[in-house]
Parts: sequence; C-alpha cells; structure tokens
Amino acid sequence: MSGIAAGLTGFAVLLALMAIRIPIGVAMLGVGVGGYAMWTGMTPLLAFLKTSTYYQFSTYSLSVIPLFVLMGEFATQAGMSRALYRTAAAFLGHRKGGLAMASIGGCAAFGAICGSSLATAATMGQVALPEMRRYNYSGALATGSLAAGGTLGILIPPSVILVLYALMAEMSIAKMFVAAMIPGILAALGYMVAVAVFVARNPEDGPAGPRATWPERFAALRETWSLILIFALVIVGMYRGWFTPTEAAAVGAFGTMVLAVLHGGMRLKGIARCLRGTATTSAMIFLILLGAETFNAFLAQTQTPMLLADAIQNSGLTPMLVLLAMLALYLVLGCVMDSMSMLLLTIPIFYPIIAGLDFGMPREDTLIWFGILAVVVVEVGLITPPVGMNVFVINGMAKDVPMLESFRGVLPFLISDIIRIAALILFPFITLWLVRLLG
Amino acid sequence: MNDDITEHPHPVPLPGWLSLLCRIFAAIGGITLLAMMLMTVISVTKRTIFGAPIPGDFELVEIGSAIAIFCFLPWCQSTGGNVLVDFFTQKSSPRANHLLEAIGDLLYLLIAGLLFWRMIHGGMEMRQYGEQSMVLRIPVWWSFIIILPAMALLVATCAATMIGHIRKASA
Repeated sequence: MSGIAAGLTGFAVLLALMAIRIPIGVAMLGVGVGGYAMWTGMTPLLAFLKTSTYYQFSTYSLSVIPLFVLMGEFATQAGMSRALYRTAAAFLGHRKGGLAMASIGGCAAFGAICGSSLATAATMGQVALPEMRRYNYSGALATGSLAAGGTLGILIPPSVILVLYALMAEMSIAKMFVAAMIPGILAALGYMVAVAVFVARNPEDGPAGPRATWPERFAALRETWSLILIFALVIVGMYRGWFTPTEAAAVGAFGTMVLAVLHGGMRLKGIARCLRGTATTSAMIFLILLGAETFNAFLAQTQTPMLLADAIQNSGLTPMLVLLAMLALYLVLGCVMDSMSMLLLTIPIFYPIIAGLDFGMPREDTLIWFGILAVVVVEVGLITPPVGMNVFVINGMAKDVPMLESFRGVLPFLISDIIRIAALILFPFITLWLVRLLG
Repeated sequence: MNDDITEHPHPVPLPGWLSLLCRIFAAIGGITLLAMMLMTVISVTKRTIFGAPIPGDFELVEIGSAIAIFCFLPWCQSTGGNVLVDFFTQKSSPRANHLLEAIGDLLYLLIAGLLFWRMIHGGMEMRQYGEQSMVLRIPVWWSFIIILPAMALLVATCAATMIGHIRKASA
C-alpha cells in the first residue's frame, strides 16, 4: 500500500468510527495507534507510547488551555453575565429590539473573558432570556439573538480554539488574538444590525423598553470596569510580551477568581464547582489533542499531508478555489461535528496546503487570515441546522419556544454571518490591519 | 426537532467508590491547577517588582499541567464528558446507542490499558536514567507517582462505564 493510500484509509476508518458514537478523541487515538503499528511496526509504537503522552501533557505552551478554561468557569460562576447584560441594556434597552442588541453586546463582552461559545450562550441566556420575555420579545428574536451572540465567545479573544490553531500552525497566540479583534467587533455590530432589520420588519417582536437615565448608566458601568481591566491586561500584556500566553491566562484566571469572590459571592463550594467544570472540559480537550497528535504521527509517517499539499499545488487550481473548498468542507463538517475536534483533525492537513499557496501576501499573514476565516466559518456551524449546538442550548432554556421558531430567529444572524465571511475573504486587510499596526 | 443531540455519551450509573475516587483525583488535579495559577501569578509579580521570577517557574507549570490533566481524565470519562458525533445515530434506539457507546468504551479501555502499561516502563526508564528538570533538578519520575494511579483509575473507569452501557443495552 502506498503512503497516501494508507493515510486516506486511516481517514476513512476514523470517519466511520466517529459516525457510530465512538468519542472523537478515542477514535483518533485508536486509528492513530493502529495505523502506526501497521505502517511503522509494533516495536517503534511501543517505544513511542512510553513517554509521548507525558510529554504531550507537560508541554508548556499547552498549559495555557486549562487556565483559560478556568478563567471562563470563574466568569460563568460569578454571575458576571448579569452585570454585563445590565450595562448593555442600560445603553440600548430603549431602542426597538434594544434588549436583543444588549444580549449581543453582553455576549461579546462575556466572550472577552470566556473562550467558549456554549458557555457564553448559556450564561447570557440565563440572564437575558427572562428579561426579554418580560418585555414581550418574541421567542424567535430572544432565542435567536442569544444563540448567535454566543458564537462571539470563540471569536473574541481569549479563545481556546484560536489558541489551538496557533499552536498547531506554529503561529503566535498573541497575534491570532489581535487578528480576531476587528472581525469580532464586526461580528457583534453585524448582529446588532441584523436585530435592527428584524424589528423593522416585525415591530411587535422586539418592543422598546424604558430608557435608562445617565446616572443609571454610569452606575451600571461601574460594575463592569474591572472586567474590562482584566481583558485589557491579558491581551495587551500578551501582545507587548510582558507575559507568555500561559502567564496571561494565569493572571486572567486569578483576576476573575478575585472578582468572583469579592463581587459574585463565590465561596469554597463555588470554587470546587469551577474546578470540576474545568476538569471535564480540559480532559475532553486534551484527549482530543492526544488523539490528534497520535493520528498525525501516523499520517506524518505515511507522508500524506506533504503529498497532498504537493498534489494540490501542482493541480493548477487557483488558490482562492482551494480556500473556498476548504471553507465549504468546514461548513458541511460543522453541521455534524464538534467545532474543536473538526479543527484539530483538519488543520495539520490544511495548513501545509495553505502555507504553500500564493495569495499575494507573506506566509505568516496567509496563515493568520486563514485561521480567522476557519474559526468564523466553524462558528456558523454552531447556529445552523441540523446540529446547531448553541440553538439547542438556548432553546432548551426557553421551554415555551418551539425549536423551529428558534431556527427562524437565527436566520437574520446567518445572513449577517454570510456577508461578513464574504467581506473577510475579499478583504484580508480587515483581519491583518491591526496585526500590522501593532506589529 | 431533536432534544437528544448533546454530543456526549448517555450517562450510566457507576459504583459509588469509583465515582468517589474519580472525584478525589479531579480534586487533586484541580488543586494542582490552582497552585500552578497562583505560582505563576506570584512569579510574574516578583519578576515585575524585583526583576527575577520564581526559579524554575516554567518547569513547575509543565509538571503541574501534566499531573492536572492526567488526574482529570478519569473524572471526564465517569461523567460522560468526552464529545462524540451523535448526528447519525439520533434516530436509532437507546439500546443500540448504549451498545455503540459500550464499543467506544471498550476501545478507550484497550488504549488506556496500553498507555498505562507503556507508561509504567517509561516512568521506570526515566528513573533509571535519572531524567530531571532543567533548573530545579526535580526527577521527572516523581510525577508518575500520581500519574500512574490516575491512569489505572482511567482503565477501571472505562471498564465500569462499558459494563454500565452493556447493562443498559441488555436491560
């Protein structure tokens, strides 16, 4: 069997295993270990396994992940979503659909301390959903805006998915975070425009609430400034090189913990709950990481990624076509698969291909741009049927809203997503401008 | 539409002592992670004020994160925290799904067993060759005193969840 045939067979077996409910990390590990044993032999495999797991888990650059997860858990448990939502609502609530816009704003702000979309959607939903229903917002707008707003969690830094992309494509985490800032803000603004268009067409879906006075607005702001401080410290500190990403994550987690204890009333029980949540999420991520690493060790032995990259380079396809095909594949895979596993599975194969294509900019810029595009596209998968996890989570919280209604509510946000993705593809400088400015 | 889509396995009951052990190991990992966080914050502060970090702070983070992650693995398995694709099987019967999940657990059990066995050898070799960290000269095998029992617990947990799924499938 030739190398590439072995690699592709491995891929086929992996997809088959994943389709029948084998946990994604376990399936990758299984095929990786099996493939390695068959292609390279039993003895090298047994030697490889002696220390590979330990060294994988004790990598300094990976230690940033459990710390960012912990930071997100503290932020979630501390009820910080309440303060953020109140502030956003104080400024936007008097407009038509203003509370839905506030949900988007609150999600964006929460995404700045939490790197997970599901957590952002769920924690904002707990606060914003009752509020919107109280002011007679329709189920479609209330659930749709929260499900879409939640996707900002993985785009706005710190983001676990961006960290994983940076590590796999050997890019700087700080640069990826900075590159995500403008696309993230554009996403939030685009969603707010989507709300405005939605209520312009269906005014009864999002009636205007009472107008907050300026003293009320300043009072609300006072509760949120500490979060802004933590976010700024983490991102600026990382970018200016004051901290390594791990140190930034530790400082951020510590800061959120202090806030949670002082303002959120978190005690030992709450801390224990945060640690258990962190344990589940981190173990889940690292099992997939270990699986991906093992599977890639096997793929590398068969030289599949290299041969594939060469084949595509010599195929005469235009770079843009290859890029669009990859993004389309993400959209399809994203319909059925968890976003993190999807990226871990595909990046090791895609990034040599992308790095070898000429988009008329330096290699590093191309990889940053592609990473942001990949995350943005993956994010769309969270709100599209059949498996829109964010929509499920929010819909589960709003018992009286039918699922179809929620997917209808998500539609305007999907349109906004499509326009934004097109803009990001056509104008790479939207992503790269801030990186160059600060670089 | 589909309320069953969770991207996680179905929960199964586990023996009380096993759940407790998983919880204890998760707590050990969690405390290690907290300690790692505090140590890093102190080291950063010390570096900013006095110009010198805690010696060996990077390697302490490396050792700490390995211990934490290994301790988290059994807990994650015991609570059904690993993600899977349930799109293609959402319409099949609960019994069939439990059976498929038992197969997944069997695969995880075999791999965890293999890793456990290899890591015993890996740890012993590290001890023999006196492998140690760069700055503080901490022997690497010391962390295996916690990591190996955590791996053994992972093997036991995989076996228990597999049995749980088989019971549900044949009930």
